[in-house]
Amino acid sequence: MRRVCEQLISYIANELKESEHMAFAEHLKNCTECKKEYQELSQAWHALPFDYTETEVPESLKGEVLGFVFEHNRQSDTETFMAKMSKLAMMFKSQFTPVSTSIVTVLLLAFIGLGMANVQEKNRHPENIPIEILTEIPLKAANQSHPRTNGIAYIVQQGSEKNLVVQVHELPGVEGSQVYQVWLLKNSKRENGGIFKPDENGSGILTYQLAEGQTFDQIGITVEPDANSRQPRGKKIAGS
Amino acid sequence: MKENYDAELMRLVNEKNGHALEELYDRYIKLVYGFVMKFCNGNEDKTKEIIQLVFLRLWTTNSHYDPAQGSFVNWLLTITRNICIDYLRKEKRHTQHHQEEHEEIADPANAVEQRVNTNDIAMAKNKLPTAQRRLIELLYWKGYSLSEIAKLEQEPLGTVKSRLHQALKGLRKHLELEDIK
Repeated sequence: MRRVCEQLISYIANELKESEHMAFAEHLKNCTECKKEYQELSQAWHALPFDYTETEVPESLKGEVLGFVFEHNRQSDTETFMAKMSKLAMMFKSQFTPVSTSIVTVLLLAFIGLGMANVQEKNRHPENIPIEILTEIPLKAANQSHPRTNGIAYIVQQGSEKNLVVQVHELPGVEGSQVYQVWLLKNSKRENGGIFKPDENGSGILTYQLAEGQTFDQIGITVEPDANSRQPRGKKIAGS
Repeated sequence: MKENYDAELMRLVNEKNGHALEELYDRYIKLVYGFVMKFCNGNEDKTKEIIQLVFLRLWTTNSHYDPAQGSFVNWLLTITRNICIDYLRKEKRHTQHHQEEHEEIADPANAVEQRVNTNDIAMAKNKLPTAQRRLIELLYWKGYSLSEIAKLEQEPLGTVKSRLHQALKGLRKHLELEDIK
């Protein structure tokens, strides 16, 4: 009998170290003597557990066992999540020195803080600040062929922002690339106030943000051949 | 056929199918309960704790039962016995009452066992010489390792091993005789 064959009894009793156990399992495949011996002895070994008295199993056991298993399962799910988080934290720790960690943390906090302040700043306008109408300017038809054209322009203020809102009705329809253009007159100079197209009922609306301190004397609306006019090229349709 | 069904159940358990685990419980609880009760000398609380650990092991294990490696029952009982042994070893470490335990198993073939051991393996075991019976009791049911037993019996390890060899051979012989009858 070779030396390795002497491990058979320890192998059956499951007392070999894992590496030895695997090595012996490999040996079993090749050693016919051990193989035969193993088959005989393990048969007896596996018969041993049946040497017990049958006992009535308590009814409550099933709930206690399965409940224990599934509850444990739920807990370990949570634990796995926590373990992942702490692993992540460990990874960060090993990547950064304490100094760089604190620098990164400060930067991150500053970044988040600024970001939040910025968002709040942006949100303040529509949410918290009421719109105030500063001026109402009635608009009248300026072309005899469409005398019913009328409208109104408002200068509204929201916070420090001023907007011009122009609303016109009963406008003659436009064709092709034609648009209506609003002009703001100041000291006989005309400045572009934006373009718009009327809907099928001849109504149109335009909002134009006024630059800080921008004022004007009069409003004129012309029909322009396209959206590229820097100075009025078409006829005046309405005005203040 | 039966092994295939068990293998399929175990595959479903590996995939965390709760119904499959319940099915395994229903099929084998009688066996596992009887086994663990014997291992724990009839202590119901310990038995419950160990059985919980056995089914938790089935639920969380990554090892798959392979029908080619033997019957499912053997596989299940090997797992169960390993957990029993771990449990008892931990307990021993806590209590340190080695001496008492030794006295308990001084006579393995006690009156109660004689009365209830009516099945084949029990009869075969009772035909073994006392030293071999005692060895199986210590090793298989009390969870002592071969070297622990050698120390306990103040004998060389080789003697203990060859006694186990003889005991298993004897058991097999007696079992075969029972089959022939």
